[in-house]
Formats: sequence, structure tokens, C-alpha cells
Amino acid sequence: MTRRLLMPALVGSALLAASSGAWAQEADNPPLPKIDWSFTGPFGTFDRASLQRGFQVYNEVCSACHSMNLMSYRDLEGPAALGYSEDEVKAIAATKQVTDGPNDQGEMFQRPGRPADRFVAPFANEKAARAANGGALPPDLSVIIKARDGGPDYVHDILTGFRDPPAGFSMAQGMNYDVYFPGHQIAMPPPLTDNRVTFADGTPATIDQEARDVATFLTWASEPTMEERKRTGAKVIIFLLVMTGVLYGAKRRVWSDLHDKDNHGD
Amino acid sequence: MALPQNKIVRWIDHRLPVFSFLDHELNQYPTPKNLNYWWNFGSLAGIMLMIMIVTGIFLAMQYTPHVDYAFDSVERIMRDVNYGWLMRYIHMNGASFFFIITYIHIFRGLYYGSYKTPRELLWMLGVVILLLMMATAFMGYVLPWGQMSFWGATVITNLFSAFPGIGNGIVTWLWGGFAVGNPTLNRFYSLHYLLPFVIVGVVGLHLVALHQHGSNNPLGIDRKGPQDSIPFHPYYTIKDMFGLGVFLIVFALAVFYFPNLLSDPQNYIPANPMQTPPEIVPEWYFLPFYAILRSIPSKLIGVCAMFGSILVLFIVPWLDTSKVRSAYFRPIYKWVFWLLVIDCFVLGWVGAHRPEGWFVVIGRIGTIYYYLHFLILLPFIGWFEQPLPLPPSISSPVLKKKGGGRVARAAAAREKP
Amino acid sequence: MAESVQSQPAGAHAEEGTRRDFLVIAANALMGVGAACVAWPLIKSMNPAQDVLAAGAPVDIDISSVQPGQQIVVLWRSRPIFIVRRPPDMLTKLQSDADRSLLRDPDSEVVQQPPYAKNQYRSVKPDVLVLVGICTHLGCIPNFVPAAGGSLGDNWPGGYFCPCHGSRYDLAGRVFSGVPAPYNLPVPPYHFVSDTVVRIGENPPDSTFDFASIEQI
Repeated sequence: MTRRLLMPALVGSALLAASSGAWAQEADNPPLPKIDWSFTGPFGTFDRASLQRGFQVYNEVCSACHSMNLMSYRDLEGPAALGYSEDEVKAIAATKQVTDGPNDQGEMFQRPGRPADRFVAPFANEKAARAANGGALPPDLSVIIKARDGGPDYVHDILTGFRDPPAGFSMAQGMNYDVYFPGHQIAMPPPLTDNRVTFADGTPATIDQEARDVATFLTWASEPTMEERKRTGAKVIIFLLVMTGVLYGAKRRVWSDLHDKDNHGD
Repeated sequence: MALPQNKIVRWIDHRLPVFSFLDHELNQYPTPKNLNYWWNFGSLAGIMLMIMIVTGIFLAMQYTPHVDYAFDSVERIMRDVNYGWLMRYIHMNGASFFFIITYIHIFRGLYYGSYKTPRELLWMLGVVILLLMMATAFMGYVLPWGQMSFWGATVITNLFSAFPGIGNGIVTWLWGGFAVGNPTLNRFYSLHYLLPFVIVGVVGLHLVALHQHGSNNPLGIDRKGPQDSIPFHPYYTIKDMFGLGVFLIVFALAVFYFPNLLSDPQNYIPANPMQTPPEIVPEWYFLPFYAILRSIPSKLIGVCAMFGSILVLFIVPWLDTSKVRSAYFRPIYKWVFWLLVIDCFVLGWVGAHRPEGWFVVIGRIGTIYYYLHFLILLPFIGWFEQPLPLPPSISSPVLKKKGGGRVARAAAAREKP
Repeated sequence: MAESVQSQPAGAHAEEGTRRDFLVIAANALMGVGAACVAWPLIKSMNPAQDVLAAGAPVDIDISSVQPGQQIVVLWRSRPIFIVRRPPDMLTKLQSDADRSLLRDPDSEVVQQPPYAKNQYRSVKPDVLVLVGICTHLGCIPNFVPAAGGSLGDNWPGGYFCPCHGSRYDLAGRVFSGVPAPYNLPVPPYHFVSDTVVRIGENPPDSTFDFASIEQI
């Protein structure tokens, strides 16, 4: 039986190897440095402290331009999320002013945020965002990690990739040079500096640390159920291995009473 | 196994013969006893269809088919709906695995000559199922309303404008507007819900056609009598269940650990009619057809070549002139078959890249070779090939079989002098 | 397709038969467990999602502009909530025997309210009534008819009249005898966070009442 499978296996694996990376964008960029994130791999989990620091970076730096319209403040609560308590989440939400209404006079009004509210967006709509950013639209960050090849590595590398343009490279008006951004010209000015935020847990806020933490937070935000997915996966696959093993035994038993085994398949 | 003597069973069966039907089709239905694991993929495809329908129905309870809400409703499923992430990832990866299973099932048919008489209609019904699957998958991919959803829909519906005269009218009719938009999304949702049930119906016909003459087998020779057959139940039911278990392990690895491996990150960006993505790429299972489409400079002929590549499958039973079914006994066809497989992979690889440079050349060669295989090689090889001698029956020992050396020897030893 | 096939008799290999039966039974059992494990998340997915549950959070209502004798209607968990400011003359009627004799459950024996609302006024503060405005018969929204007498008859004390099938309730939401509705109008969990703001959907700090335990919404 193994010889019969040899040809298809060879053909399949040779062509899969050749086609790997078929979906990757081909550009003259240097390869993305890869970071050993805590959440990669089948047993990866999020570092809660990193998530909270990353949320702080988003809150204090990124949210000035980038919305996260799919997130609500209540999403931050609990050990499966960022580890904030119900009261902490209420306090975070209450620091924001949310547009609500119309009231009985028919007008919209501002009120302090509640956990059920979505994250407050910096701009009322896309056109306002573009007008404030020289025509460029800062993308919504809710699923940014899943929306970019390279995921958290890409976001981290962009954030730490700002440099002076090399000699002879002509920059367009208002653009910034980034080593890892495709085309090297990004409309976003470098958002991070050392000690741009002060972390409550005392971690030194280098650009690299801020970038790692915000990339971790954004990965969680793109898929809050990731840890549950991997845990469930382990249980499912173990169950399936056991069940398939028993089924194999049952299959052998059922087939064993065929005396003339010679011409039957496997 | 006789029908149970249970009174209730007999009362029902007398009025609606479900039990005797099942007994006839499962317990007494004779199946060749030499089927190998490539024969598991039919039942696997049927089970995958059930999984897709069930997850689809539960997803449909939470999805909103409106351009302003579709993307967000899918993310709501991922985040807020209990086990929504699980249903979505199963449905999304299930489509890919459904195609993997179906392509293997088709290639099994091509290798062992399962399309040859008297199974021509069985094969053609299968091609109909493939077409319905492709339509269903195409429309389903539009529903999340990401960048690839929108632009893939735009590109593929625009194909129909290639038809002279009526082309633009057809496209406007498909869109329900001046471009892909809300009317398009709504009607794709309706049809995406409908077509799987049409597929169920055609699968039913496919099984009726199958049961008419029974399964083919790796040797490609007909069953001669009861010594060549075993009842489907319990032998192949348990073997199919085991195969299902193995498949589910691979499927679970994808769903739980690599759920976005086969999808395009661009589709996590909400659809923007004002901005075309840098590369518009369909899902992997359409890539070979996409390559064929783009390899021809003329729009109309490209469209015809793409649809033609599936339509040519309908006439395979008549293109292949060989009297011998199974590639076991066809030394030349065996290699030509694998060349076709390689060609399909190459076309898929070409389809994933921008049509420039070497990709254009290779794409054209691949397309020409594809048609060469079906229109030239199949008939000619059938005429001129010298097949190996067929064994007299399924039960008798086989002289030459891959990996069968010890088996044949054991059989020969048991042979009565 | 006329041929049929005889399979090997199962009893031919008795010892192997037992082992085969065990494996087959085990296989069937595991597949059954697997099927149940697949059905479970699908069924659970139909339960209210996280955002729906979050939208059912308590709401704060400012009642400072509600005049004596006036009712406002607000939404909590997609249900209408009646809030009435009851003047003293309404309250005296609630204590009278005439009122009691008309009622099916004058002492609120059936659990249709939190324990802190199980009193003659069916409320935390006598002058503010909070009810779930859904008729306990078949779910219509009753009309507020506070004035006594009138078209509903001379001995109509004032209260609620449901237009769908004629059920009647008094000014504490207690159901009349002889009408289709079986129970008093429900009282939701609520408490006053200040003199003028009532929070609907949350018990006072010392109560753990579960709204799901009432008899009939």
C-alpha cells in the first residue's frame, strides 16, 4: 500500500513546497524580523501584563487616530481577556465621552462611557479622518493583525522600522520612511518614542517594548477567543485520536472474518 | 441480515418502506471487496456536505446580509455569539476541505476509469455537483463582504460581459445595479442558502446512478459473482467511519490551529469599492481555473477556456477510448494521469501570482497541456496503448500489483492445483 | 442488481466475536459522544450572545420630571417598563377593602415581584410604582387608565386595562379576579441610586433576587 501512495505523496509534497509562499506579497523589502511571541504555537497563551500594557499604548497613543470599532469596553473584563475587574472596566469606560441620543429634545448629547459601549472612535466618519490626516485614512485596528501578512511581526516591525530615508531615495510629500513597510513610504509619522507612555507595572517603555505590547494587545483584539480555540482544539484532537484508534481496531476486527484477504484493499 | 420482526418496524415498512430500503441498500448491496482507501472520499464528501449545511444554517441565524452590516455581523459571530468562532472556522475551512476531498474523489475516478460505461451518467452528475459547489463557494465567499469578497465578485461577474451583445445586460442583471452592491449581496445570500439543497438532490441522483451498477474497484473489472462482493454494511460502513476519523483529525488541526492558513488576509479588510487590493486572488480551489482564464489574451476566449476546462469533464467518458478501465493495467496512461495532476498544481501555482514574466508562459503551457490531455492524449492513448493483461476476476490472484508481491505469493500458495 | 450477498456468520468465531463486539460497541459509543459534543456548541450558539446580554444591563432613569398621576414608559431588556408617580389619593385606594375584594392575588403571594416589593404598594417607595408593562395573559401592553369610573364601569378604581382580551389590574399592578390574566404584573429588580434616579434591572445592595424566578413575565 505504501508504494501505491508514494507517487501521489511525492507529487503533492513537491508541488506544495514549490507553491508555499504563493500568497505572500513579493517586494524588495528586507525579510520581516520574527519575534518569539508568547501566543504562537498550539499551546500559546497571552501574557496578561503585556496585554494591559499594550492596551495602555493603544489608549494613550494610537487611539488619537485609529478607531477600534468592533471592540467594546466590556470585552476587556475578565481573566480570559485582559484581566481587568468589572469595576476597573467601568472606570476605563467612564473616562471616555460617548455620543448618545437623541434625547427628548431630539438632540445628540455626550455622556460618560459604560462597559457596553464600543470603543470611542477618534473621528466621526471616514471623511473626517482623512481630512485630519492629509487624505490618508488611519485603518481601524480591530482585526488589523488578521488583515496583514505577517500579523504581529508586521505591526511590530512597522512600528520599530522608522528610519531616515537613505541617500538618493526621494520621499513623497508628507510621507515617512519605514524599512519594513511595502514601498517604504508610510503616511503615519513614527508614533512611538522611548517613554512615550509610563507603564504602571514599571516595565521600561522602550520603543521595542511598546511595539511588542501593542502588537500583543492587537493580536488579542483581532481574535479574543484564540486561547479558547487552542484549548478546545487539544481536547478535540485527543478525543479524535482515541476514537479513530478504536475505529481502526473495530475495522480490523470486522474485516478479519474475511478469510480470503488477498484481493481486498487495505 | 433479515428485516427485524418487530411489529412497529413492519407496520411502518408496509406503508413507507424505509427499513427494507435501508436493508437493501446497506446490508445487501454488493460492493467489490477490493476497494482501497481512495474509495472513502465519496462518503467523506457527503458527510462534509452535511457539516457545511448544519454550520451554515446556524451561522445564518446570526449573519446580516446588508453591505453596512455584513462584515460586522461576521465579527460579531466571532466575538459575541457563543461558539460563533467555532462555527465560522468550521464553515470557512470546511469549504476548503470539501474541495480537497472532491478533487481527490474526481482524480480517483480519472485514475481508475470510474467514468467508463455503464457509469457515464454517474460521472456527469458528479460534474454537475462540482459546478454547483463552485457556484455555492463563490457566492459564499462574497458574504463576509471583505475586500476579496467584493473585488472577487466584481472580477468574476464582469467575466460575463465578454459575451458579445448581451454581455453587459447579463452583468447588470446579475448585479441588480451599476456595480456589485447591496442587491448583489442579498441575492447571493439567498442563492448560497438554496444551492446546497440542490446539491443534496443531485447527490441523491448520483447515488441512485451508483447503486444501479455498484462501485467500480481498483482493478477496474466487473464483479462476476458473490465471491467478488461483500455487503456494504458492516465492512464499508466501519471503514468509512475510520476514514472519517482520520479526516477529522486533519480537519481539526486546521480549524483549531491554522484556521486562516488557506484564506487571504485582505478579506479581513472591510470591502472598499474605491480601492482595489494590490492582488485580486480567488480562494485556492479556483486558482487553476483563474490561471486558465488569464492565460488567454482575449477576454471572451479566456472565459470560454475557463468554463470549457470544466465542461470538457462532461465528455471524458467518450474522449477516453481505452477498453480498459483502471490505470493499474494501463502503463502509459498511468504516467499521463500524474502529468495531469502536476499540471493542475502548476496551474494553481500560476493562478496565485500576478500574470507577468515567466508566469504567463508557464500558465499558457499549462492551459494548452490541460486541453491536450483531454482532447488529444485520452483518445490517442486509448487507441494505441497496450494494456497489461487483466486478471480473470476480482477474487482470483493478481499476478502484478503494486506492493502486492507477498499477497500474490500467499494467494498463489493457497491456489488449488 | 438482483444478486445478494451472504456475509460470514457472526457466530463463526466466538472469541473474536466478543472482541469485535466490544470494539464495535466502543466505536459506536465514542461516535455518539462525538455527535453530542458537536451538537452542544451549535445549540448553545442560539443562546443570547455576549452583546445581547450586555445590552440587558441595568438602565438609569431620571424621574424628576414625572408629575403626580403621570406614567412614563422606558425600555429595559427590550421590554416596556411602566414608572408611575402615585399621589396620596391613589395610595389610599390601594389599601381599601373595596379594592382588595376585586383582586385575584391581593397579597402578592405568587412570586411576581422581588421580596422588597412584596407589600401593599408593590414598590420600594410608595409614591413610585415600577412595573413590567406586559400583560400576564398573552403579552400585550396594558393601557394606563388611572381615573376612576368612566367607561370601564362605576366601580373601576383606576389602574390598567389590557385592550387585547380585557384583563384589568389596579394601581399596584395587581390582577383582578374574573379576567383572562392569571398573575399580577411583574415588578422588575430596581432601586433608587438617588432621590430622582431609579436604576431598573439591579437589586438594592442587600438583595440577591433573581428576576428569572418569577412566575410569568
